[in-house]
Amino acid sequence: MCKDCGCSITGAHRYVPHHEHRQTIEVLEDLLHENDRQADHNRAHFDAHGVLAINIMSAPGSGKTSLLEATIRALPNGVRMAVIEGDLETENDANRIRRHGVPAVQITTGMACHLDAHMVHEALHQLPLEGIDILFIENVGNLVCPANFDVGQHLDVILLSVTEGDDKPAKYPVMVRAADQMLITKMDLLPYIEEFSTSRARDEAKAIQADLPVIELSAKTGDGIAAWISWLLLNVSSRREIQDLTA
Amino acid sequence: MHETAIVQGLIRILEQQAAQHEVSAICKVNVKVGRLRAVEPRQLIACFEIYAEGTVAQGAELAIVALPVRACCKACLCEFEVPRFHFECPGCGGGDVDVIQGQELYIESFEVVGG
Repeated sequence: MCKDCGCSITGAHRYVPHHEHRQTIEVLEDLLHENDRQADHNRAHFDAHGVLAINIMSAPGSGKTSLLEATIRALPNGVRMAVIEGDLETENDANRIRRHGVPAVQITTGMACHLDAHMVHEALHQLPLEGIDILFIENVGNLVCPANFDVGQHLDVILLSVTEGDDKPAKYPVMVRAADQMLITKMDLLPYIEEFSTSRARDEAKAIQADLPVIELSAKTGDGIAAWISWLLLNVSSRREIQDLTA
Repeated sequence: MHETAIVQGLIRILEQQAAQHEVSAICKVNVKVGRLRAVEPRQLIACFEIYAEGTVAQGAELAIVALPVRACCKACLCEFEVPRFHFECPGCGGGDVDVIQGQELYIESFEVVGG
């Protein structure tokens, strides 16, 4: 009798071509285990410096960098921010942030459609975190891939601009489900885009995540920026409380 | 194409495991993928075929079990399968739910020919 499976094919029959003895080896390991471990390491690094890390995700051209520029202008004195920019190519976005005197590191991913925890970790070596309250990680413009890769952030923000159409939350549900805050951007263009209904966009997002907070804003006119800043400051202080409790 | 990054992770695990178990060839790999991970099984298989070449997993079959999204309502504790990402409890209509399945992305086992 065969010692592996107890079948009766032995001796000369051993080489019957269809008879394969398969052995199954159990593994149970997450496929993104290495990324997730690095992400936890990044988060520990942020926590050690009292930094709130926010991952900003959206389609290309939704106004992520413009939002960050408006944020720089509106943040009260004493709250300091830094930015990690992710793009396939160019230093353009980091340059836009640096013009305001805010530290920024550009990651160019080449062909990668998302930032991962290792890329962010490398960028951290060029970014002194001392004295920084909020680190924004502007992910590669893409509504699918970035949602899968933890980079060590505490919070996820998704942008939806009125020019993209109000059905985008339903089309990209995974990212909406992952978000802690949704921003409807470019509200100054709403009068020209009659197809876009903010209530429809809100309803679609709500079907995916009932308690997802939504702010409508325009980085250009400044409308709604105050609500965004309040949300940020609330999270900065609650992160500090968590920090103090665990210290 | 985040599937390539995921496949690279998978190949890394297989190479480590194969070395550990002194396995020279893998014939089948079993993975589980939740629908909330935005991973397309067909793309994962296509990427796997390319990345497995020249490794211990060359020619291996990648068997993917796609897991539907399931949630549990926090209000009435009803467990349900989430249709098309609409997280609404069929019992009480509430939307405050815990996802209990759909976030998976792991290798369960691999198979080798032996004996």
